[in-house]
Amino acid sequence: MKNRLRVLRAEREWSQADLAERLGVSRQSVNALETGKYDPSLPLAFKLARVFATTIESIFLEEPGDGEA
Amino acid sequence: MICCTPMNLATRRYTLRTMAAMFFYVIFIYVAVRAFRHGHPEGISAYVLALLPALPVVGVLVGVGLYLAEERDEFLRSVFVQSMVWGIGVTLAVTTVWGFLELFLSVPHLDLYLIFPLFWLAVGISSPFLRLRYR
Repeated sequence: MKNRLRVLRAEREWSQADLAERLGVSRQSVNALETGKYDPSLPLAFKLARVFATTIESIFLEEPGDGEA
Repeated sequence: MICCTPMNLATRRYTLRTMAAMFFYVIFIYVAVRAFRHGHPEGISAYVLALLPALPVVGVLVGVGLYLAEERDEFLRSVFVQSMVWGIGVTLAVTTVWGFLELFLSVPHLDLYLIFPLFWLAVGISSPFLRLRYR
């Protein structure tokens, strides 16, 4: 799943470590999320939305094929 | 358990528990080997001595369960679980294949206590590949 995490983070001039600290996760987690290699759970997605003061839908973008069996 | 970052609390606890279990494993195996080599334990004491080295090994598995319960970072938990699944898969495959080889051919017998280190060897080999996947 595509996401705008890198853009949102850059807008705030946060490093991956800064975001990781705000989320209470490792920097590796932030990297895996940003590169789209790991999709977060719903609680973590809500946490991301809260940290960036936005909605989940404005962070994560559904791609064709997402959620299909 | 991604490399080269400061350990979080759950990882630190897991590492300490595993090290403690391995410390007792070395002591218990020494005690058991010495007891059976130099003495002739019988009855319940023989069973206790024979099972002694297995206790820390079971303890390591309890430590794995505790780590999974304590790890707050869902990504790290996911990578850890994936490495465990690889370990289980490789161990089942190798032991099943070896079992049939033993059944039909005259290959050396694989002692059951070697399955645990085999599992961790598979976990150890799979972990770097999993890390590369998320880089």
